[in-house]
Formats: sequence, C-alpha cells, structure tokens
Amino acid sequence: MIKIDRRKFIKSAGLAGGALSLAGAAGAGYSAGADKDSYTGYGRTAYGEDQFFNRKPFFVDKPTYIKEGEPLRITTVEDIFKRNGELSRLMFSRGGEEPAWKPSDGIDALPGQLRDYYKANPGALEEFMKAMEKGREQRANWKKYREKYFIADAWSTAHSSPIGGRGSFPAGPQGRPEESDFRGVNKIKYELKSPAHGSELIKKICYSFGASLAGIAKVKKEWVYQGSLRGVGREDYEVPSHWKYAIVIAVPHEWDSMYANPTYGTSYDAYSKLRFIAGKMEVFLKELGYSARSHVPPTSYDLVMPPLAIDAGLGEQGRNGILITPELGANTRLAAISTDIPLEPDRPIDIGVSRFCEKCKICADECPSGAISFTDKAETVVRGYRRWQIDQNKCFTIWNAVATSHARGCRVCLSVCPYSRKNNWVHGIAREADPRDPTGLVASGLLAMQKKFFHYPGGQEYLPPPDGSNRTFGEAPEWLKTDEWFKI
Amino acid sequence: MGVLYTVFIVGMAALFRDMNVKMNWWKWSLVLLWFILLSIIVAGGFTLIGENEMRAGLLFMAVPGTVMLVAAVALGRFLLRGANEEKDK
Repeated sequence: MIKIDRRKFIKSAGLAGGALSLAGAAGAGYSAGADKDSYTGYGRTAYGEDQFFNRKPFFVDKPTYIKEGEPLRITTVEDIFKRNGELSRLMFSRGGEEPAWKPSDGIDALPGQLRDYYKANPGALEEFMKAMEKGREQRANWKKYREKYFIADAWSTAHSSPIGGRGSFPAGPQGRPEESDFRGVNKIKYELKSPAHGSELIKKICYSFGASLAGIAKVKKEWVYQGSLRGVGREDYEVPSHWKYAIVIAVPHEWDSMYANPTYGTSYDAYSKLRFIAGKMEVFLKELGYSARSHVPPTSYDLVMPPLAIDAGLGEQGRNGILITPELGANTRLAAISTDIPLEPDRPIDIGVSRFCEKCKICADECPSGAISFTDKAETVVRGYRRWQIDQNKCFTIWNAVATSHARGCRVCLSVCPYSRKNNWVHGIAREADPRDPTGLVASGLLAMQKKFFHYPGGQEYLPPPDGSNRTFGEAPEWLKTDEWFKI
Repeated sequence: MGVLYTVFIVGMAALFRDMNVKMNWWKWSLVLLWFILLSIIVAGGFTLIGENEMRAGLLFMAVPGTVMLVAAVALGRFLLRGANEEKDK
C-alpha cells in the first residue's frame, strides 16, 4: 500500500489549488472577454438597462464644447452630402442632356453657394474630383474583391433597403413644418403631470422601440440647418417655434462587424434601426397630441446631431468629430425627433473625452485619409465653436477607395477609438476610473497600454493594394466571411 | 474558486511551517495580495484574449507578470530571511 505523507499531500494540494485558481481566473476572464452580451447597446433590453454608466457624478452646467465668437447655423452647402449631391447633379445630367457644369468651366461658373464654398476652401473641388476618380477605380476593382466581401456587401445592402426611395420609413416631411409636423396629430390630448414625467415616459418608449441611449435637449438656433428645409426646399428660414425640444436617440453598429471596418462593416445597420425608432417615436408623439418631426440618417436632417446629443448628456465630441458616449464609445449613431411636448432637458456630462483625445490621437494615426487633426488642442473655430475639425472631403475620398462595392463609408475611426470597447470588467474599470482621476495619470497609463499592447495596422494598410493590404482593424466575424459558407 | 483559494492557503501554511517561516497577519496579507494581483493579471490577460486581442492579452500578462515574478522573488527572500535567522539561533 502506498503511504502518503500527510504534510506533503497538504502542500501539494495547496500548490495545485493555487494553480487551479489561476486557471479558473483565466477561464473566467476568457469567458468575460468572449461574451457577446458584453457588447452594450443594440437594444439588448427594452428598458434602458444598456445604459450601465452612471452619469450623475459627471453632470455639468455647461456643455463641454467651447463657444468662441458668434454661433452660426450650418448652411446646406457646408454639409458634404448635400454639397456633393448638388455638384453631382450639375455634373452628371440624366437623360443624356448636356451637363450644367464641367470641371473645365472652373469654379466661377458654379452657382452661388457652391462657388462661394469652393472659393473659400481651396483644394476641396480637386479632392471631390479625386474622389470621383477613386470611385471609378473602386467599381472597376470590385470584381477582384467581390468573393471575399460578398456576404458583407449583401448584409449592407439589406440594411440600406429601408432607406431612400418611396418605401422609406419614416417618409420625409411634405410642406411647411407648421403643417407637416402637425399632420395626423391626435385631437385628444391629456396634460402631462410634469415635464419630468414627460421626459421619463419618452425615454422609456425610446428604449421600448430599441434605442440604446436617449436624451432630451432644448433646440438651440445654432443647431438648426439654414438654407434648405426638408419638405419645402431651398430657403432661409427662422427656427419653427414648435421645435422646442429634441429627443436624441443613439444605437451602435453591430459590434463584430464594426471592429472589422472598413470592408466588413456598414453604416446602414445603425441607420435603418435609428430610422425605425425615430419614425415610430414621431407617430407616438402625434398620437399623444403633439407635433413631431424625425431627423434621421443618412442625410434627412434639419438639426445637427452631435451638439444636440452633447446638450442631451449622451456624451462628448471626440477628435474624430464623432460623439463619444461612455457606453458605446465612438460606435454611436444618432437621430432625433423635434417636438413641442413639454419635457425636462437632460444635463450635459463631462467625462474628460477632450482631455483624453488631446493625448490619444490613435484615430488620427489610423485614419486612412489623413482627415483627422493631429493638433494637441482643438484649434479650429467652426461656426462659433472651437473644435477639432475633420477634413470631410479627404474622408469621402477614402470611402471611394476602400475595397467595397461602392462608397459606403470607412468607419475605421469608430473601431480604433479606445472608448469603443466592450462592457466587461477590464474596460469597465477603465471607464469608471479615468473620468474620476483629476491628475490624468490613469488616462496616460491606459493610453500607454492601449498603444503598446494593441495592434494598430496603420492608416494606409486599410486601403487595397498597391497602397495597402485591405486590412481590417479587428478580425471579421465568421458569419461575414464568404468562404465559411459558400464554395468559392 | 473559494474552495481552491482555501486549499491554496492551507497548503501554503503547511509549506511555510516546514520552511520555518513564521507567518503573521501582515506577512499573510502580502502573500495573499500578491496572489490576488496575479489572479487579476491572469484574468485580465485572458479577458483580452477572449476579445480576440491575443497580442494585447499576452502583453497584458507578460509585462505586469514580470513585475509579479520579481515581487515574488523579493517576497520569498524576505520571508526566508526570517526563517534562516530563526535556524541560525
């Protein structure tokens, strides 16, 4: 019979226990990291439980954007999609007619606002021409990449199907806001117990429709577009008096595809979701007896989203020009509903995004177009507000250069942002500790780890050969890989 | 995990007794703090690996892991010094 020394057994068991508990920690950690449920948002719950971040300690009286000079409303021509749309209509006539404008005609031959914009922004017209050229190459090269991105392209097209055209939802406004926003409003209307009740109810309904985040802001004049009004057309207009409040809603892109930007991700998944939520909220408010107008992506807006969302306490603006929220990071897409239902606005927050962005610059390093500023501090004053400004024209050129079937975005700056991380204990500690540290040491430490430990391919690598190697930031999920499912 | 930790502590207590290491509350605190930190580093590294960030996970364990190894050597020498002094008497 084998004799076992009792003391030796206890010591061996102790060492084995230590090793096993370390293995347990490894297993629990792996499980927490791999857990899909730690991707916050995307309507995981219908009751706002996705908002795990407690904003109360970070409420501030003034929003974190920096006012400098006289605030101005954004004009239609300053919006890249509207500007490019106008220019394209002039350049590419339908029905075989002679184009209204050719590049050889020069900037002076462009109509008023476009001419003024391109004169004030030297190089912008050349960048647009470059984007058109890149777009032609992109369409020609698609044959080479179609097999690899076949599912991703189909997935994106499916998400874009409810957007645009006659069947789009919500239908765009028709006529002046004073008519259109009140069309179909219920004549029966009950008085709310208080504006606070109104805000609470509206947020609960937003969550029930699938919003991950919802906030309320007053509509400031400078957040309203100028020069073109949906449902009416081109005109300068005063802000309608019934656009009192904006209900701002946010959802993320599907996370795994978002990490695999630029080629596997799409903008349309979040866009279509937001359109459904905002459209339903418009109907809901009208049923309650109040005016409503939804402002939805990709381009159906009369209100500018990021500053409204900052006012509504959802987050702060980052170096990449995108709203960064504590829950979703830069993976935050926005829509809003303007209304006159009495509401209590939310308070803005300060979680130190600007201070972090001053040090970080990962998005600027990784941007394939070089559109994101590298300056330490925000140096550009845009319409009365100091901020980092991205070069929209350069950004759009890269949309036309990555290996997708057509220009449907890049979104690398969303993927690489250190705030766009999972809601698990590792990133949870970082999220909670950094905004509470007045010294900035936590941010510096986290950033050092972020830059040294994580792999960032570098801006050019996201481009197709010969400029890059079609890299994605993260590994594409298997359900978007064509060769996992099809005989290719 | 609780059972494993208990077994580990009992085993360590036996080991220290055999090595003539006189343990008190603060020495135990140092040993346990070291072990808990090591567990957190391992869990953190594997969390990142679970997120498909293999490189980040391995580096997350390697860099503080090296510090922990140095700390373990320092802690061991400190505890054993007490034991050797006891033997010399």
